[in-house]
Amino acid sequence: MSHILKLQNISKHFDGKTVLDNISFEIGTGEIVSLLGPSGSGKTTLLNIILGLTQMDQGKILFHQSDLTHVPMRKRGFNIVFQDYALFPNLNAYDNIVYGQRNNKESASPQQIQEYIEFLELKPHLQKKIGELSGGQKQRVALARTLVTNPKILLLDEPLSALDGVIKESIKQRIQSIAREFKLTTIIVTHDPEEALTISDKILIINQGKISQFGAPQEIVHQPSNDFVDQFIIKQLHIKRQNIYNLFGEQYA
Amino acid sequence: MPNVKPEMRVIFVVILSLFTAFLFLPLLILFARSFEDEQGISVANYMSIWSDRNMIEASFNSLKVSAAAAFISTILGFTLAYAIHCTNIYRPLKSVLKTAIVVPMLLPTITYGFAIIYSLGNQGLLTKLAGRSLFDIYGFNGLLIGYVIYTLPPAFLLIHNAFKSIDKKFIIVSKLMGDGTLRSFANTILRPLIGTLGGAFVLSFILSFTDFGIPASLGGAYPVVATQLYQVMLGSIPDFNQGAVIAVLMLVPAMFGIWLLKHLERLNFHYDKLADTELPRHRIRDAAFGTISIVTVLGVLSIFAVMFLAPWLTAFPYDFTFTLKHVISTFQSSDLTRVYVNSLFVALLTALFGTLIAYSAAILNVRTSLMGRSALDIVSMISNTVPGMVLGISYLLLFNGSSLKGTFAILVLCNMMHFFTTPYLMAKNSLSRMNPSWETTGELLGDSWFNTVWRVILPNSASTVIEMASYFFINAMVTVSGIIFLVSAQTSVVASKIKELQHFGKFNEIFVMSLLIFFTNLIIKLLCDYLQKRRTVN
Repeated sequence: MSHILKLQNISKHFDGKTVLDNISFEIGTGEIVSLLGPSGSGKTTLLNIILGLTQMDQGKILFHQSDLTHVPMRKRGFNIVFQDYALFPNLNAYDNIVYGQRNNKESASPQQIQEYIEFLELKPHLQKKIGELSGGQKQRVALARTLVTNPKILLLDEPLSALDGVIKESIKQRIQSIAREFKLTTIIVTHDPEEALTISDKILIINQGKISQFGAPQEIVHQPSNDFVDQFIIKQLHIKRQNIYNLFGEQYA
Repeated sequence: MPNVKPEMRVIFVVILSLFTAFLFLPLLILFARSFEDEQGISVANYMSIWSDRNMIEASFNSLKVSAAAAFISTILGFTLAYAIHCTNIYRPLKSVLKTAIVVPMLLPTITYGFAIIYSLGNQGLLTKLAGRSLFDIYGFNGLLIGYVIYTLPPAFLLIHNAFKSIDKKFIIVSKLMGDGTLRSFANTILRPLIGTLGGAFVLSFILSFTDFGIPASLGGAYPVVATQLYQVMLGSIPDFNQGAVIAVLMLVPAMFGIWLLKHLERLNFHYDKLADTELPRHRIRDAAFGTISIVTVLGVLSIFAVMFLAPWLTAFPYDFTFTLKHVISTFQSSDLTRVYVNSLFVALLTALFGTLIAYSAAILNVRTSLMGRSALDIVSMISNTVPGMVLGISYLLLFNGSSLKGTFAILVLCNMMHFFTTPYLMAKNSLSRMNPSWETTGELLGDSWFNTVWRVILPNSASTVIEMASYFFINAMVTVSGIIFLVSAQTSVVASKIKELQHFGKFNEIFVMSLLIFFTNLIIKLLCDYLQKRRTVN
């Protein structure tokens, strides 16, 4: 698989504290990659550096071999769905979705917009105010708004953390379908190992600003590279499995 | 937070330059002038002011009457707020109390004095109803009543807002723990409010100490600092250097008050969560607080009742036959209608530009990462510290020889600087509660920063912007202390005209003009409330 995004030796310090330390990895076209780690590990900072919102102190970002390091956020062509969606409450769902259309020549055509709306099952909710939407609906509106700008890479900051149960699973599937259907490279920030393992093609595990492991879910589960990965991911999954076993019996565990 | 854009820096520089030219520089000149005398630079002006017995007496009087008024306003403000938040009195009555108590804010303070004279003077309406003169109003008593009426609304609003953030569940918990009435009251109400009550006292004190309108109409032979200042600046022998000294001295209690307010803030409680709790029934409590509140509000309104009656009577208090001649003659006087139009013009421009500057300053401070943006908080603090009269005198000293003298622009600028703090804090509060990612999202969707502010930030803070504009408008309509030194024959406004009409004893015209201000402010207030409600519903 060809590499669409390459990060080389990224470092970042805040108030003398190292937040990211020499991070290097590559992402292939159309891949879903999760940045996984505990709170304060530096994963959101890394996402913001890729987006162009935060400046790195050291390192390089290459997109299709061209250097993006000093390219401003707006000109990178990436887009993000923030954790809290950042939907504009003065506009209804539809106006939020088409907000960026008039600003970008490269944004989706009216036909494509309809396609996104149908794909995300938003048709019955288009005229609703943001306050009238459920968490899952808000997430889908935010996704549609971002897709309308035809981003070169889709960034998602904790996309499932505010959702629960069945809605969470449904949104997870939609994210996967979007990435596959539209061949859209997607980077997701999450602190939930189960979420990362079930949604991603690759996972970058970060701890205290350093890469603990980068690999496919199977690789991480079967060959944890160090104690942190073992403790943070494998132990958590074992506990979950044990809980399910206790509740439903061995066949579910 | 979005990355810093050149347009943010431009607005920041414009705002800081505006405050440098129209707040810092005038104050600097005032300070310098206070040290100037015939021999050059010295502290002679300060020495001579304290050898003036009148000035010493005025300072003592100001301190005494302002402290007494602040004490009474804080107690009454607390009682009213307690009645609204912590009793089970009839709910519509609570709404009436809440609305009625802030009515005096729609009038200039100079009107308060005349209303007191016509109500409690020897021939006053309330004196007649009581059948005898209750007390001498020209002096301490009159000033005290005027200051209490003036400072009760802001003291009440401050305590009322603080009550909103008190968790009443703790009253129930305290009762369940076996606390007696007094202990429960002290622990669950007084303790969390102690900082606010101190704040209400300081605020009321500063407002009383620096007000000019009430002593201008009621002071009589009872000198206070504000009237001394007016005499020195615009009396028969103006002495600008001495005036500068009094103005600087007037700043001292205001500065001390602001410093005290900052410290009192630390005593405030912050509850993590507020529970909607039903209060236990207590008939004696409800009856007592209900009665005190009704009597207080009726007492305040009864003072103003005469203002609504006198203009329609032939010669109050001697001839009670109905007539329209005072109202008609006021409206036929091109001079008075022009003054009213001037007031409207100044208030509208103040509302427009004041809101623009305060809102822009708040956006830069709260929603950008601009370096040095906290300077705007310092600007706000200084603007809050400077009394209107001091600002007015500073302008007089700096712009006396300039082309700004006698223009509407100088009145609008003075009002913008004088009333900047409250709307700025309103905007800061509203903007800081908004989603911090909107500007970044807007940028990623192809918007410029201006576009995102226009399409997203502004519509989502429309309710606050309306409230800010209403605040600027109403205050510009009623202020007298700031602009009394700056108006010319062409730019005279209603509040300053009232001072002139007082000189000629034209009290009916004064009341008609006051009613005009009152109803104009009332219409603006109702309109803004309606627009705000509509925004909230939508």
